[in-house]
Amino acid sequence: MSTAIRKPFNWRRWRLVVTGGAIVGTILLLAILAPWVAPYSPFDLNVAQMLKGPSATHLLGTDELGRDVLSRVIHAARLSMMVAVLASLVGLVFGTLIGTLAAYFGGIVDLILMRLMEILFSFPAILLAIVLMASLGTSIFNAMIAIGIIFIPGFARLARATAESVLRQQYVEQARAIGMSHTRILVREILPNILAPLLVEAAVAFSYAVLLESALSFLGLGAQPPDPSWGNMLNTGRGFMGVAPWLSIVPGAAIFLTVFGFNMLGDGLRDAFDPQLRDE
Amino acid sequence: MREYRPHAQGAARPALAIRELTVDFQRRSGLLRTVDKVSLDVWPKEIVGVIGESGSGKTMTALSAMRLLPHGAKIGGAIALGGRDLVNIGESEMRALRGDRIALIPQDAMQSLNPTMRVGRQVGEPYEFHRKQSYGAIWSKVVELLRAVKIADPETRVRDYPHQFSGGMQQRAMIAMGLALDPELIIADEPTTALDVTVQARILKLLRDIRDERGSAILFITHELGIVAELCDWVYVMKDGKVVEDGPVKRIFEAPKADYTRMLLEATPSIHRRKGAKR
Amino acid sequence: MRGLILSRLAAFALTLIVASSILFVAVNVVPGSAARSALGIDATPQALARFEAQHGLDRPLVVQYAEWLGKTFTGDFGKSFQNGVDVGPELLRRLPVTLELAIFAFIIANLIALPLGAFAAMRHQRAADKGISLLASLLGAVPNFWLATLLVMVLTLHFRLLPPGGYTPFTVNPVMNLKQMIMPALSLGIVSSALLIRIMRTAMIEVLSSDYIRTARAKGAKEGVVVMRHAIRNAMTPYVNVAAVEFGFLFGSVVVIEDIFLLPGIGSFVLVGIINRDYPVLLASALTITLVVLIINLIVDIVVGRLDPRRVTRHQ
Ligand SMILES: Nc1ncnc2c1ncn2[C@@H]1O[C@H](COP(=O)(O)OP(=O)(O)OP(=O)(O)O)[C@@H](O)[C@H]1O
Ligand SMILES: [Mg+2]
Repeated sequence: MSTAIRKPFNWRRWRLVVTGGAIVGTILLLAILAPWVAPYSPFDLNVAQMLKGPSATHLLGTDELGRDVLSRVIHAARLSMMVAVLASLVGLVFGTLIGTLAAYFGGIVDLILMRLMEILFSFPAILLAIVLMASLGTSIFNAMIAIGIIFIPGFARLARATAESVLRQQYVEQARAIGMSHTRILVREILPNILAPLLVEAAVAFSYAVLLESALSFLGLGAQPPDPSWGNMLNTGRGFMGVAPWLSIVPGAAIFLTVFGFNMLGDGLRDAFDPQLRDE
Repeated sequence: MREYRPHAQGAARPALAIRELTVDFQRRSGLLRTVDKVSLDVWPKEIVGVIGESGSGKTMTALSAMRLLPHGAKIGGAIALGGRDLVNIGESEMRALRGDRIALIPQDAMQSLNPTMRVGRQVGEPYEFHRKQSYGAIWSKVVELLRAVKIADPETRVRDYPHQFSGGMQQRAMIAMGLALDPELIIADEPTTALDVTVQARILKLLRDIRDERGSAILFITHELGIVAELCDWVYVMKDGKVVEDGPVKRIFEAPKADYTRMLLEATPSIHRRKGAKR
Repeated sequence: MRGLILSRLAAFALTLIVASSILFVAVNVVPGSAARSALGIDATPQALARFEAQHGLDRPLVVQYAEWLGKTFTGDFGKSFQNGVDVGPELLRRLPVTLELAIFAFIIANLIALPLGAFAAMRHQRAADKGISLLASLLGAVPNFWLATLLVMVLTLHFRLLPPGGYTPFTVNPVMNLKQMIMPALSLGIVSSALLIRIMRTAMIEVLSSDYIRTARAKGAKEGVVVMRHAIRNAMTPYVNVAAVEFGFLFGSVVVIEDIFLLPGIGSFVLVGIINRDYPVLLASALTITLVVLIINLIVDIVVGRLDPRRVTRHQ
């Protein structure tokens, strides 16, 4: 017989996670299933159907080349999600590496690494991304790298702070005392214990990645037409603001909803795991 | 049988009367009752001690009388200041009483002073809020007050920020603030905790002088028996939000009725010695 | 106090040097790309080599960096690859545009955030607080270039109230200048206010639950006095710190907004540099933005020290 007491599900505590998760889940699902759920191809031109408003055949209307806006928005989700996932991953991996190394070795290593992170952090993010894009060249892959680099200092700071508190624990001392190797201690003892807050941070980074990617694409530095991305759709849409406002409204709303969903999820996870807030 | 209470003689009504006071907090696990049907009186010119272990509800009782309970607290029962109901009056009426006729000297002086405001300005605020006076007049009153609580060189010290004061000085500044308008009731919540013995003795003497010279009634909260023995006329013993016993200080020390009081006394043997030395 | 300022200045200088080298490396990380983009894809290898030799691009990166840094310090930002024009004077012409935009936007952000954040804290956990918190979450998710687009659609195309873009110096025509600045500033400011509302709210909740606020109330202070005199100033220390970082973000975001509203500021200069692969232009304008951000952080560091009397006296 199980002795565990089953607590009733606490809606108040998890409502942000559930709502944010539902939004994010839907968007992720649409992104993954894009080729199957999108009613049309995102590339098919149809000169007869140029700049048509929302209708039964084209739920969100068509663009200046007669392409179905709904299908393009769904396919753009795919690209945005991919960039966001990979960029967050770049930031997470390198940031965690730098942060834990700084915490673990301390001293001069810590000083130099963290000072560098702080300086990187003091750059306005979008500017750094733009400059990196200039030298890497405009492509969606490079946008992903540039955004990932921006995230490194944030993750490094967090990783360092959490790793420091883990390092003070008894079992790490013991692991050191019995002569476990540096790598083994870092991977086996420290990493599992700092992962949770880093993953919460990743949700927030994710939403920021969506914003940055769409800004870069909006400026013409990210995804290149005809590949649909919310940023470049919005940019083209601006040219037809007066006659076809949906071309500007729809992709922006998609960005907004995605960012909102991820922020909610991130906030919710942070609150749910914060012991100080638990008994409220 | 009622015990003889000298300050109740000849006085029309208590300075502070609390009846069946309850303070509840809504917790996820249910209602948390921190003060449970507490009744107590403070008569004019009387120094009444409230003693009890940490968490027994002393501060919550004091804050109820000020109507300054933390957010989310629910209050029940009756409180009267000089016969005037405090529970059901409006916020602006209550505000008019706070600092003027009922004053609080809070538990933690350092936390209770605004770090970004000069001490003098803070001490002068009761005048500012309740009396229409020029800044110059307030300033000289503040200097006098600080002198009264034995802060050396008050003319220059008024310009200090709280962090430039020592712990004992901060505590005395809080006392000065409470005294400002000669309130009929002063509630002092452990004003001497964390102070060394000599400073503590000086502050206790100060409070006694205030009662003697200005005629304020004082509700003195502490968990140190020695202070009660030295300072108070009457004492209430609290445990788990309830008053377990009350009576004249001398009798409580010599013949405690409640088991809990006896336990308290036994746990602090030095009290008897102190009390004995005084006699 | 002097010690504090000196140590901050030293950190500032170090940051600036490292930041400039990061920028320099970022721009030059792909060798040879400058020449190729300046001369076009079908330039001959000889032409490329000539271009590189002419602009000193064939030397080691360290040497190029040292030379660039030295010249920059003396105010020589080099000449544009594209048209040979001096970059320095052009920067000076553009800087006021961006500063006006950023400051205007920042004022809007604070005008929204300070009262809303403080009010939410005063109504903690009640309907108004929840409403304001939700508003902050919503605003925080709005891309500023989308907001800019929507503003143009409504205010320019529909109501025909404001011009869609362009720039008139304030000294030439103040009314026109403000008309042209209001939408760009709103786009940046409203989005920035999201974070600031949250920060102000959190800081005020913390302060309002502190003991000294209870003391003020115990003295009979009216709610207005409690908030304005006792709470706000103490909430400002954490607020100003975050606001400075936010100003940095805001200053970086001018690139997108200047592009949308055709404002000839530093931000659009960055884009010019990128699109033309005009590295002197790109480096100079990016460095200027970084420099401004760093200077703001420096000033705030010192001012925040002054806001809190505990810090001031410690350094006396
Ligand atoms: N804001 C609050 N929310 C919920 N419960 C509270 C709050 N403040 C105090 N309590 C609870 O009220 C009870 C009584 O607290 P109170 O501060 O009155 O004790 P006390 O007798 O003054 O103790 P001490 O000697 O430590 O000052 C405690 O159990 C405490 O946990
Ligand atoms: Mg207490």
